Amino acid sequence: MSSGGNLSKGGGEMKKVITGNQAVAYGVILSRVDVVSAYPITPQTTIVEELSELIASGRLKTIFLKVESEHSALAALTGASTGGVRCFTATSSHGLAYMHEMLHWACGARLPIVMVNVNRAIGPPWNIWNDQSDSLSQRDTGWIQLYCENNQEVLDTILQAYRIAEEVRLPVMVVLDAFVLSHTSEAVEIPSIEEVDSFLPPYCPDDFIDPQEPKAFSVIATPDYFMEFRFKVQRAMERVPEVAQKVNDEFKAHFGRGYGAIERYGREDAEVLLMTSGTVTGTSRMVIQGMLKKGCPVGGVKIKHFRPFPSKEIHETIKGVKKIAIIDRSLSPGVGGIFAQELRAVLYPHEEKPQVFGFISGLGGRDITPNLIEEAVQYTMDHDRPQEEILWLGLKK
Amino acid sequence: MSKQLQFKSLLEMPEIAVSVGSMDWNKTGAWRTQQPFYEDKTPPCSAACPAGNDIVSFIQEISKENYEGAWRLIKEENPFPAICGRVCFHPCELKCNRGSFDEPIAIHALERFVADFAAGQRKKIERTTEKGRERIAIIGSGPAGMSCAFHLAKLHYRVTVFESFSLAGGVLRFGIPSYRLSKDVLDQELSDIEALGVEIRRGISLSNPLRIEDLKDFQAIFIATGAHQSRGLSIPGEKGRGVYRGLDFLKKINLKARVKLGEKIAVIGGGNTAVDVARSVVRLGKKATILYRRSKEEMPAFEEEITEALEEGVKIRYLVNPIHIHQKDGLKRLECLRMALGEKDESGRRRPVPIPNSNFFLEVENVIIAAGEDIEFSYLPKGMERREGIVLTQRDGSTGIKGVFAGGDLTSNQRTVAHAIGSGKKAAMAIDCHLRGKDSEEAIRQVLIGEGPSLSIFRYLHPDERPMNSHVVAFEELNTDYFELAKRKRESKRSVKERVKGFKEMTSTLGEDSASEEAKRCFSCGTCNECENCYVFCPDGSVLKGAGFSHQVDYDFCKGCGICFTECPRGAISLREEAR
Repeated sequence: MSSGGNLSKGGGEMKKVITGNQAVAYGVILSRVDVVSAYPITPQTTIVEELSELIASGRLKTIFLKVESEHSALAALTGASTGGVRCFTATSSHGLAYMHEMLHWACGARLPIVMVNVNRAIGPPWNIWNDQSDSLSQRDTGWIQLYCENNQEVLDTILQAYRIAEEVRLPVMVVLDAFVLSHTSEAVEIPSIEEVDSFLPPYCPDDFIDPQEPKAFSVIATPDYFMEFRFKVQRAMERVPEVAQKVNDEFKAHFGRGYGAIERYGREDAEVLLMTSGTVTGTSRMVIQGMLKKGCPVGGVKIKHFRPFPSKEIHETIKGVKKIAIIDRSLSPGVGGIFAQELRAVLYPHEEKPQVFGFISGLGGRDITPNLIEEAVQYTMDHDRPQEEILWLGLKK
Repeated sequence: MSKQLQFKSLLEMPEIAVSVGSMDWNKTGAWRTQQPFYEDKTPPCSAACPAGNDIVSFIQEISKENYEGAWRLIKEENPFPAICGRVCFHPCELKCNRGSFDEPIAIHALERFVADFAAGQRKKIERTTEKGRERIAIIGSGPAGMSCAFHLAKLHYRVTVFESFSLAGGVLRFGIPSYRLSKDVLDQELSDIEALGVEIRRGISLSNPLRIEDLKDFQAIFIATGAHQSRGLSIPGEKGRGVYRGLDFLKKINLKARVKLGEKIAVIGGGNTAVDVARSVVRLGKKATILYRRSKEEMPAFEEEITEALEEGVKIRYLVNPIHIHQKDGLKRLECLRMALGEKDESGRRRPVPIPNSNFFLEVENVIIAAGEDIEFSYLPKGMERREGIVLTQRDGSTGIKGVFAGGDLTSNQRTVAHAIGSGKKAAMAIDCHLRGKDSEEAIRQVLIGEGPSLSIFRYLHPDERPMNSHVVAFEELNTDYFELAKRKRESKRSVKERVKGFKEMTSTLGEDSASEEAKRCFSCGTCNECENCYVFCPDGSVLKGAGFSHQVDYDFCKGCGICFTECPRGAISLREEAR
């Protein structure tokens, strides 16, 4: 197993002002990852730089595989992971799209790889800024997807991600916003390596490539059996909420912080809920606070888990809620916002279905300002039902 | 057939699709439609070497720092690595595939390096202990004769070389100036041949013309008396005093005889002899001007020699043809015509055409005519056919007279040391075939390097070792992704100022480090050098390595994807359609 890089030992937590991408690197170092394989792409590049420099300097005893593409990066990790070691990669946008085939492979082969995706729009038109279309369009590849609100959550989520991945044998994508997190510095508590070691034990899988006992991995499964393997993937996904909660509870016990699949804030008897994911949540908290002061019956929900989609948690939190404003930073052309679509599907069996107001905003990195968020909540309060299926927020007239 | 697992329930099934045991039973080789196999092919350098050196093999030995092994590999084909490393015009380098990448391998420099290394270690090719076979007479101790003698001695024949001159070596001794080939180097390699039991009888004048009856004690004769009659110009005054012939002049210089020379010398001709003469004149402290009747493009002398001559102060006047040498008080007035280039002639070069009334005069003190060399036919025995100035032989070197073979400059217009060495070697093989009752034409056909005409006597002696497809590897067949640009190592030359002071060798042998680095630049075209690319890339782990062989394909499992074939940097793997 690898060393913990340049971290102080035995000193407990230390606080550092670091960018989201640096927080990722710390998470990887603390997780004692054995193999990193990645291909640089803005805005993910500084993650790869940070890790490769540490490895090249010899301070981090991790193997860094240089590859010629994102497809190869993940292909290399499927090999390494099948060999029974802890693996990490990071990408963004077009890079993630290029990995598509291997995303399915990592899931089908049940490999607990953790990847960071820094959300960035997919061109054309060419754009390097924040947008969730890249990760959300990979929703059906069988990866657990965890979205982060701030740099602390980024680091912490990586530590939790390995626990979840290795327990349910599914790959995890940790997702953060381009620039707003990736290149913005915040104060982050960095746990000590000893504390992380006691939270995250070494990875010891049952099945892995062993030259002493050769076997064929990912062999053919005939129609007689293929469906059962997919069923087992689904079962594993269904275990995630429970496992994630257990892991989060343990994490809280170790580090005093935690993150649920969703998080509710604002008035408990709110009639209108604002649902967001990623950094928009931070802005939304402020907007909701302001509206509460004005006496508005509003609350907010942060969605952290996108896969598996937290339907049970959402069902539990919407009792008495009449309307939900959901802001999507992505567009599935022909449908609308992807979160909104998922939410509507979750609500369908619910008897007292709240009205869903699906807003699209902030595509390609446009700021979702407090004013825009308030406009969305106000619109939702003012209307019984949305006048249009897709409500464009901040679109030029 | 496959042992497919049978599961009764979901619970019985594993989480992932993995075999429960080894998959060795699954012989995936059965899926193959094409089969890769290791097959060394002919590198372009060897195919271009008139002496038939196994160039890639010896360079690979250098890169493994086995310099003696490299030397022995050259000596299998060529008794003169030290000489060739110095004076050969290295056509191998012109064909070197690396030339299409950055710069060709300095093959001649590597050959010289290993030869000098072996000489420094006093290495000798061991004399055979086997009882001698038939006796063979060789007339002429130049490169063709001595090459033939060397190979016949290794074939266990008792060889006697007859040399009319008091020193052996032929054109190597008197035709090549010492600044290109020192006499010590020549003596060393000649003595190596004598050490094999070859007797050189120096200063022996056989009958003129040669009578075969006089040599009846010999079961075969090889005549390689060369071409050293300098061609005249057929112009008035060329027989006058102070007018020399190129080869005669070089011979005198090489034998350290005094030559009476004035200050300004005109050298007539455009071949290597003319350049050698001019550069020798400069070294004697005189001024040399080469007069050549065509332009620079047509000049047959080697480019590098011309460049060096110019560096040393030799003047070259193109499109000038002397028509009359006038005598006047020791001074010569050389009457010349200016020329223009006309249509192409039979040699493919543009024919020089005199410009009417363009006569002009050059004042010189000596004229040296180096306009080519002819064969002295008068000496040759009756019954040898000749055509267009050379002795006519069969492909194996046999003449119209039974048991008499001929080679070297006598039988060819390609008059280089390397060609002579190759010709002597071929004659040795042909003589062996003749005496052993074998079909020499067929034997030669079997050992051609590439399409020929170069041939390998090693293959003649060891038909089953180091097999090689005759296909010559082209640059396009290499996978150059695996090569990095690297500068060619050059031998250091002495400064021009030093060079013109005398006849010391002007270039020095590569150092060990440079030689080793240069050897590592070799692409090893067509020859597996165990770079392991195939082993690393084979997705089925079907490239085996083991004791007694370097690489093998495991056909039980090889699916014939062809990745090894594609990734082999040097074309040493072939693909063939799977037999059905």
